[in-house]
Amino acid sequence: MNPRQLTFQIFRYNPETPEQQPSMQNYVVEEEPGMTLFIALNRIRETLDPTLRFDFVCRAGICGSCGMLINGTPTLACRTLTKNLPENITLMPLPVFQLLGDLSVDTGTWFREMSIRTESWVHSNKEIDPRAPEEPMDNETALSIYEAERCIECGCCIGGCATANLKPDFIGAAGVNRVARFMLDPRDQRSEQEYFDVVGSEDGIFGCIGLMACDDNCPVGIPLQGQLAYVRKKMASAGWKRK
Amino acid sequence: MHLQRALMQNRKMDLWVELVQTVSGLLLVGFLWTHMIFVASILLGIEAFNTLAKFMEDFGLLPVAVIFIILAGAAHVGTVLRRIPGRWQEQKIVWRHAKTIKHHDTWSWLFQAVTGSAMLILIIIHVFVVVYAGINTELSADRVHSWMLWFYIVLLLLAEYHASVGLYRTLVKWTNMKRRSLKTVLLIITILTVGLGLISLAVFYSHGGSI
Ligand code: HEM
Ligand code: SF4
Ligand code: SF4
Ligand code: FES
Repeated sequence: MNPRQLTFQIFRYNPETPEQQPSMQNYVVEEEPGMTLFIALNRIRETLDPTLRFDFVCRAGICGSCGMLINGTPTLACRTLTKNLPENITLMPLPVFQLLGDLSVDTGTWFREMSIRTESWVHSNKEIDPRAPEEPMDNETALSIYEAERCIECGCCIGGCATANLKPDFIGAAGVNRVARFMLDPRDQRSEQEYFDVVGSEDGIFGCIGLMACDDNCPVGIPLQGQLAYVRKKMASAGWKRK
Repeated sequence: MHLQRALMQNRKMDLWVELVQTVSGLLLVGFLWTHMIFVASILLGIEAFNTLAKFMEDFGLLPVAVIFIILAGAAHVGTVLRRIPGRWQEQKIVWRHAKTIKHHDTWSWLFQAVTGSAMLILIIIHVFVVVYAGINTELSADRVHSWMLWFYIVLLLLAEYHASVGLYRTLVKWTNMKRRSLKTVLLIITILTVGLGLISLAVFYSHGGSI
């Protein structure tokens, strides 16, 4: 069988030349066995258009830099095989994040701000002796923390979320999941009221309207519906008791 | 943080508003389904319907129901309005977003907002008609046997759709239930309640003009 000719429709825009309107540009690439979008996009850049901008680092689903809208679905380009896609493939950058050019967006700044706002570090005033053996943690707790910790900060749950598209201050599922990670951690001494100050608002968990685009699109499969419900219940109970 | 935000910080407020929205929504679903079962008493005959209507009148349940729907409705509309994108720009963003990501639950939320807004007008008309014209088989049958049939069919479809999606939304937000099974169960309930409503309307229609 002849290899397919894939037609890529790719979003083009350079914020530094705002006089040029955003547009969709077509590129035709011959499909190869085992081709991922990482390979296809590099083929386009090498053979058709050296100006095309997109991001990849690990090309193995670990660094989270290649999130984009693939035929509308927010997901990782490096883990998407062209054989699972139709012949016509539309690529757009993730919304919400600052657009750097074409398919490249700045997720880093967004996630750094979110980390600061959710105070993503273990709050503890316990003296730590760096030479003493680490305190053990039971396996179940460690695993539930690890589940949340698997987030690769790709931003797919943010770009796909209508609420995040409307409200720039909304921390999104990645933010709520981050808070869940610290809530589960027994080393973090924050009280539930302190967590409430961080996420008990419209910009936090009570801004979420339950669209579940986050849960449907997280490429590493973090159970975001469960994480959101967990934090929502905890914060409802904290808010109820709040004076 | 900005000045106005720092001054406005009553953090408990966001939780309360969310709770009022959800609880009023659930109460309205309960009301809707009870209401549909009561209306379906026409299937047991004119006698049954009139007895139930008289029972409700004798025990003053009609005003109670009307007051309930006004209070619960006002609480629901008041809290839910904050979520409906109000500015033109925001409207453009949500519709474009839904079209781009082609995501089922995002569409169902938009339809939830649309059916809700449409219902707001229809429910007000419906309550006015019932309060000022009254309920018994004859009146109701004549109402259904007229152009108002379409009004009732549209209201029925909007309300059942909105209730079912609202219930789905609430459960998805607060529990970790399997969404696929939830959708299946709610689809069956919706088909049953819409079916029951349509059959009741058909029976009223057949009585219309003849009694
Ligand atoms: C009359 C005008 C109405 C309007 C404008 C309206 C609008 C809305 C909107 C926009 C939402 C989504 C809120 C969100 O996701 O944050 C919603 C949720 C909901 N609605 Fe309505 N609605 C109306 C009437 C009703 C009625 C009659 C019922 C019951 C049958 C109902 C039951 C619900 C439920 C259960 C929810 C889910 C609550 C939640 O997610 O917290 N609504 N409504
Ligand atoms: S459930 Fe919906 S509103 Fe909430 S974070 Fe996920 S995508 Fe956004
Ligand atoms: S939660 Fe999932 S979708 Fe969201 S940023 Fe993390 S890995 Fe990406
Ligand atoms: S390039 Fe690292 S996740 Fe795709």
